[in-house]
Amino acid sequence: MAGEFNLLTFAVKNLKRKQLRTWILVAAIALLVSVLVFAFSFVRRVNSSIRLTSERLGADVIVVPAGSRGAAEDVLLENRTKSFYMDKGIIDRVKVIKGVDNLTHQTYLVTMTGLCCDVPESMVIAFNQETDFIVKPWLKGKLSRTLRKGEAIVGHESAFNINVGLMEVDSVLFGNVFKMVGVLDKSGIGFDNAIFLGDENINDIIEKGKTGIKPGQMSIIFLKVKKGFDPYKVARDIDDAIVEVDAVARKDIGKNIINTLRDISRIFSLTIVIASLLAAFLAWAVFSAIANERAREVGIMRALGAKESHVVRLFLSEVLLVGTAGSILGIICGTTLSFFLSKGFSIMKNLAVDLSLSDRVFIGLAGLVIGTAVCVIGALSPVQRLKKMEPLVVIKGE
Amino acid sequence: MTQLRIDSITKTYFIGDLRIDAVKNATIEVKKGDFVSIIGHSGSGKTTLLSIIGGIASPTSGRLLFRDEDIYAFGSDRLSDYRCENIGFMFQFASLLPILTAKENLLLPLIFRSKKPENMQEAGHKAVELLKMVGLGDKIDAYPSQLSGGQQRRVAIARAFMNDPEVILADEPTGDLDEDTEQEMIKFFRKMNEEKGITFIMVTHNTGLAHQTKRHIRMTNGIIKEI
Repeated sequence: MAGEFNLLTFAVKNLKRKQLRTWILVAAIALLVSVLVFAFSFVRRVNSSIRLTSERLGADVIVVPAGSRGAAEDVLLENRTKSFYMDKGIIDRVKVIKGVDNLTHQTYLVTMTGLCCDVPESMVIAFNQETDFIVKPWLKGKLSRTLRKGEAIVGHESAFNINVGLMEVDSVLFGNVFKMVGVLDKSGIGFDNAIFLGDENINDIIEKGKTGIKPGQMSIIFLKVKKGFDPYKVARDIDDAIVEVDAVARKDIGKNIINTLRDISRIFSLTIVIASLLAAFLAWAVFSAIANERAREVGIMRALGAKESHVVRLFLSEVLLVGTAGSILGIICGTTLSFFLSKGFSIMKNLAVDLSLSDRVFIGLAGLVIGTAVCVIGALSPVQRLKKMEPLVVIKGE
Repeated sequence: MTQLRIDSITKTYFIGDLRIDAVKNATIEVKKGDFVSIIGHSGSGKTTLLSIIGGIASPTSGRLLFRDEDIYAFGSDRLSDYRCENIGFMFQFASLLPILTAKENLLLPLIFRSKKPENMQEAGHKAVELLKMVGLGDKIDAYPSQLSGGQQRRVAIARAFMNDPEVILADEPTGDLDEDTEQEMIKFFRKMNEEKGITFIMVTHNTGLAHQTKRHIRMTNGIIKEI
């Protein structure tokens, strides 16, 4: 038993003497860290999704029908099923803009739920196999040839969501039978939920009349700019030259969401600051009460030879134990909260990217450090006051 | 050989505008192995003087020399080391920490030592032995709330010897004890004084107890006088 008695076991005994008070402080820190972990997870996940999507698209500028920028971002960032169309003739008008290097186009089609024999509602992307630089690199690993007419390949999530493409099966899309020739690897962007086919199939789809697209239409142009050209400038030039379209530079994709997110982040930050102040104030109040209650004991300890550092270490051990316990509890609650509450936020529900393990570890560590630091900051002043007191003064209770 | 020299020590308190000279220009020399009793009325400054010797209350003026070194010239840590390694305190009141068992209360000074004991198990045995010596061999794991006032006092007495101090400072050490236990404790003190050469400075109201010591000092209104 002698070996077991040290400052840490002493600190644990001290915390046990008023358990309700200790647990209230632990709960306060846990609440703070929960909010923190939830907020960090939310912001980080949305940010990562947007960044990853814009990086993986590989295009410097996207061009969509005027007013359809939001719908395009919904498709690319949030996996929503939306369709929007513009005239294919725009391709030639974009090509002549200074700084445009190569470009490709895609057509977005949405299958309809309830239509006889079709797959459930999902996004179908028809792409131009000759010019494509968006899907091809991704396709290469799965299919060593181009897609033939009447063939389709499904995104990673689609395979599970709509139950097609798990093997070579025939599925009906817009009244046409397509052979599903494989499942693409997970990309982490909205395309994971789509079904891909060559745009030579579009005429057959239009003929069956089961979609809103008209002949000679497409949805989106992806383009790369020539070396030395500024994508923002090229996008602006396209906007100025072609009124029927909106051009968005890669780094601006998701800008609206990021701006909204920035406001949400501000609200979260304010909440965290207020919660931190409240938690620090509570820690200060609790440790001030503890310091007053135990001043005489500290005086006795000092008389028995305790240094100021022993007093600090003892109280700091108590603070760290409370802070760590509260933070760990907060990390668990915050992670659970972000998991369940994310289903209530439409933006989170549709995001392609989940947090990586390293993100989760980072957020957990940040929660642990901030939760513990808030507790330490709150307790610092009472502990400083206590360690400086002259032993005889506190022993006599003067 | 002079172990402690209280050199012209004065301690003045102010309570509002009221000035209280608790100790006035006190000078005494204490040799190693002395057994000194300090007697006097309440408020005569005995506890203050003892606290100054113990390094827990700094004097307003004067010096406290321990082995020719002024302990109040030490920094805070060295002063703590002085208390931890050389002084054993017996306070006027029950001074046990309520959340620690009797044995843990005895082990408490050891965790403050700059040089920790190599064998903590041995330290544990020593604590048990000391508790047995004060008649509390069956209360080793008892908490202060489970002990009577007298038993708590005896645990505090045992604790004072835990760090093998050179000087024991005892403030009314037998206050809560019955006559028989008081005599047993005094016998124990004398044994430690004679066998181990521990210096004792004991504050008491009890003149009978004071007569059992080698030297007697009387304090009146902060002024000391050897009798």
